[in-house]
Amino acid sequence: MTIRHHPGDEFLLAHASGAGSEAVSLIVGTHLALCPSCRGKVASMEQMGGALLAGIAPAEMSASALSSAMAKLDDIAADNPPQSSDPLPPVIAPEPLRSYIHGDIDRVRWIPIGPGVSYRPLLKRRDARVQLIRTAPGAGVGTHTHRGEELTLVLTGGFTDVTGSYRRGDLQTTTPEIVHRPVTDADGYCVTLAMTDAPLKFMSPIVGVLGKLFGF
Amino acid sequence: MTKTDSPPPARLNDLIVLIAQSRDARAFELLFGHFAPRIKGYLIRLGTSGAVAEDLAQETMLAVWRKAALFDPARASASTWIFTVARNLRIDLLRRERRPDFDPNDPAFVPGQEPAADALMMRDDEDANLRIALTKLSPEQAEIVQMSFFADKPHSAIAAELGLPLGTVKSRLRLAMVRIRAALGTLP
Repeated sequence: MTIRHHPGDEFLLAHASGAGSEAVSLIVGTHLALCPSCRGKVASMEQMGGALLAGIAPAEMSASALSSAMAKLDDIAADNPPQSSDPLPPVIAPEPLRSYIHGDIDRVRWIPIGPGVSYRPLLKRRDARVQLIRTAPGAGVGTHTHRGEELTLVLTGGFTDVTGSYRRGDLQTTTPEIVHRPVTDADGYCVTLAMTDAPLKFMSPIVGVLGKLFGF
Repeated sequence: MTKTDSPPPARLNDLIVLIAQSRDARAFELLFGHFAPRIKGYLIRLGTSGAVAEDLAQETMLAVWRKAALFDPARASASTWIFTVARNLRIDLLRRERRPDFDPNDPAFVPGQEPAADALMMRDDEDANLRIALTKLSPEQAEIVQMSFFADKPHSAIAAELGLPLGTVKSRLRLAMVRIRAALGTLP
């Protein structure tokens, strides 16, 4: 698997610094499970966090802080490193996504919303929404643009639009400047994990299939 | 608390390993003396009140005691690892959100190159190079990096606060990361 489309540094850094929302970390964390190269970048960013922590002006702790921490040590059981278990059967949805589905892709109860298109909402926090979208071969979701940024991670199958072709592990970032009409590749169903921080804007009212995903 | 000289970075790594191996309370005391005030300072920079920052710094150090066996000095320095522990606890306890992340033991996880055997030696050099690289960023790049870690907001909000287009913030960040990764020797 060769991943050609990666999240921008700002999303990796949002995940690494802790500023990113749960929605951002869900989609970035799932991409990281499939992408060693982005994991390397995030490790460098965490190293920056370590360097900033090492260099920060210390704030004095109260006089009793150390002794009250020391008094608790004996009651704390140590965590052990996870033991390597027998290899598990292959799955399509990696962690952390699988915990949100409570199983693999085949466990998802899809909600049909148009010809060849169904979806499943996973997370809603303030303006950010994360959902799984499944499209049949050749199906599209209509020409649309975005009020905010949309991240789309391919889990299986693939889709193509004016910006390129996207397969498993590829993550597409779209912004308000991009108007696109993604079409599912011919080789099977495409399942994507999509995150938006604002509703989509459809160019034509009759192709508003995805509109239902975003609650308008 | 009396001020002591900070232990050198390699010694800080050893202190965590000592806790993992023998529940060494003296090692914890030294580690606490070094890191607790820095974690508190980090949380205050993020806008946390002094009292809450103090509690969370203490909780972070107790989590370090509990998780010490998970620390791998070939993968991260003490500062980097403790930064991630503090970051995760802050999201968990203050923001009351989850921070979903990958699981290296997951069957769908795609492994990359494991750290080389000499990574342990290089890690401390890397941290030193990284600190130098951070001081050499342009003021504009340094501002974005600092805000990425301390402003606790998405880059769109950082751009709005600075009165800059989001694209400018992204390109400053990208240039900063190129310089950082060059200093770490991780550029492809």
